[in-house]
Amino acid sequence: MKILIAISSKKYSSQTLEVGMRVAKAFNAKPTIVDVGDKINQFSLKEVGVAQERMESWDLDRPGVEVLEWAFDFLSENKFIEKKEIESGFPKNTLIETGGRRSEVYLKGTVCDDVSLILRNGEIIEELISEVQKEHYDVTIIGKSQSSKKDYELSQYIDSSIFIVNNYQFDRNYKILLAIHESHFTKKAVKYSVRIAQAFNIGVNIIVIGKNNESIDGLKKAGKWSAKFLRRNKISFSESFEIGDPVEVINKKADKNHILIMSLESNNPLKTFFKGNTPLKILKQTQSSVLIVK
Amino acid sequence: MFGPSNQILNNLLFWVSRKKWLIATFFISISIFYLPTPEGLSPEGHRTLIIVITALILIISESIPIPAVALLIIIMEVVLGIDTPNGVASTFMSDAVFFIMGSLMLAVAIVHQGLDKHLALMIVTLTGNKTWRISLGFVGVSAIMSSFIGEHTVAAMMLPVALSLLKNSGVSINRSTEISTLLLFSIAYGCALGSIGTPSGGGRNAIMIGYFAEFGLADISYLDWMKYAYPMLLIEIPLASAILWYTFTPEKTIMDSAVRKLKVDVAKSGSLNSNQKLSIIVFIFVFIGWIFLSPRIGLGIVALSGVFLYLSLRLIEWNDIATRMNWGIVILFGSVISLGIQMKDTGAASWLAQSFLDFSQLFVADQILTSWFFSVVLCSVMTNLLSNAATVAVLGPIVLDLGVNPIIMGMATSVASAFAYLTIVASPTCMIIHSTGLVSSKDYFKAGWKLFIVSIVLLFLISFLYWPMLS
Repeated sequence: MKILIAISSKKYSSQTLEVGMRVAKAFNAKPTIVDVGDKINQFSLKEVGVAQERMESWDLDRPGVEVLEWAFDFLSENKFIEKKEIESGFPKNTLIETGGRRSEVYLKGTVCDDVSLILRNGEIIEELISEVQKEHYDVTIIGKSQSSKKDYELSQYIDSSIFIVNNYQFDRNYKILLAIHESHFTKKAVKYSVRIAQAFNIGVNIIVIGKNNESIDGLKKAGKWSAKFLRRNKISFSESFEIGDPVEVINKKADKNHILIMSLESNNPLKTFFKGNTPLKILKQTQSSVLIVK
Repeated sequence: MFGPSNQILNNLLFWVSRKKWLIATFFISISIFYLPTPEGLSPEGHRTLIIVITALILIISESIPIPAVALLIIIMEVVLGIDTPNGVASTFMSDAVFFIMGSLMLAVAIVHQGLDKHLALMIVTLTGNKTWRISLGFVGVSAIMSSFIGEHTVAAMMLPVALSLLKNSGVSINRSTEISTLLLFSIAYGCALGSIGTPSGGGRNAIMIGYFAEFGLADISYLDWMKYAYPMLLIEIPLASAILWYTFTPEKTIMDSAVRKLKVDVAKSGSLNSNQKLSIIVFIFVFIGWIFLSPRIGLGIVALSGVFLYLSLRLIEWNDIATRMNWGIVILFGSVISLGIQMKDTGAASWLAQSFLDFSQLFVADQILTSWFFSVVLCSVMTNLLSNAATVAVLGPIVLDLGVNPIIMGMATSVASAFAYLTIVASPTCMIIHSTGLVSSKDYFKAGWKLFIVSIVLLFLISFLYWPMLS
């Protein structure tokens, strides 16, 4: 399994990196940490490249390297990297260009299979889509954006599950709110919930939401299966059933003490494009971190 | 995750979301094509204007790669019946394009020599340790050097000098401060205002010289250009420096320890090696060639001769030039020059110029002043939105047809295209300093608008008081 963690700076990304690495640990996955720098316009691409080469010849870091260096320090402090690597410091000399706008630092990991640090330049959504397509990540983890358009584009176009980290605080007692509604990916969402509950050592509140009595009857089976699966994995949980619009119900139930896990209703992009999707509507208002499973 | 068919659909939706301008451009072009040809404009001129509009939208929106825009211009010129394939090919390649290509190659060769450490020593020796003098030194040295070897080359060499000084003075180079903004803008604005000084300062200068010759208006030599433009460059250095100082006045007014550390660092790298000395000698030969030989063999051939020498003397390998050169820009310049010539030949440029004159007569009687302001203000605004060379290539044929002294109009347009102070995308130098993460888009406007107005006023005075004496 492969996980992509998108960071931007120490100031804004420490929560995302912490959560991302814990999730990676839970899934025993290979995490890749990516920093996407500003887009450079086409008239200046080569010229900026030459200027950055000159900076390196003066032993000055190219922009973005300091973010990766901070991420490296974070990984070493939290023992995600082998001791040998930490003693030798941040291995800038292994920052290798692997494509026009992509450079990569190779590190050896301990807790995870492998850790990669990536530097990209460009428009963030385009770069993340390109990275996911290139490396086939299963989950992309990113901090919540100020722009709802960006969140929409992430949920619409990125071909992986997405974990949007929002207001995460390490000392808070969290619970997972697992929303089961009409969706193709319910089983996957339940499995992800178990892994995350194990990683964070927290319980799960299952909420089964049907638009009416008929649909809730259909979803009860999924609810039962989820409860059984959680019980088998020794996760403490509670279960409730609600009738109503999933967006309204979830927004009422989810608060800042929850990590919300839900799945996309449909895997038809055209349908999502025109009709919108429940996770996105929730994302606009919620105070919780949200994992959208697809 | 998506299945294969949904993945294709999703990619298509994403493509549409990112290519809105490309799709809009397609419909705009089709709509204009089916509009009746305006009175006084030939059908070929009508179709040429469709290409101009298409190219401008695509360059500004960057919805397709720049080389793709260049190729589209060439394809449309033939497909829309404006010229034959051979005719388009002959307008595509000219001495101006040779000159731009040669200058870009020379720039790569010069940067490759690693002369920046010696440049740093020269600057701090000249300026001493006072911050305002260092800022003035950065503006002055950037301006004078970029007038000969092109602005982005100088910016690439000056950037590590400025960052080293900042680092040595204990200033964090990971976050913006007044002093970092001051030094970085001293480089960017110095390079921009210096690029007007000689034809080799920027590709747009060569394009304008090409138009003067192509349209039979004048033969402007390298030295002639310097006589026109260099006084303005020299006046602007202290003005720009003062504007920057009062806009970004730093708390640290002395950089004593930083200068000392820099001198020690540079001393460690030793004196000029034989390759560096040889590369300076080759460039001096090129410069002499531009002054004395270009009237006979052309600026482009002199520049290419310089590249030939750099390659033959093994001062640089071809692979280094090939990988570091922005070939897309060369193709774009070739195609926009071709488009400019087609604008002239099909009468599209005259029609646009006449339409502007007819319109402006409704408001202002003085055609000379109106035409001057039209070309200078439009050019300096456009240059902040797209490439300055592309601006000159498109506007050049129009402003030369406005009925005012074409030398003054052409020079004013070319000089105004250097007023790229307001946006990050205005020029490669603006993008180079922005790429450090130490300057924000607001900073460009903060100092840029003052220098923008001062430059236009100065250009006005020079255009009407000094240039008529030379014409």
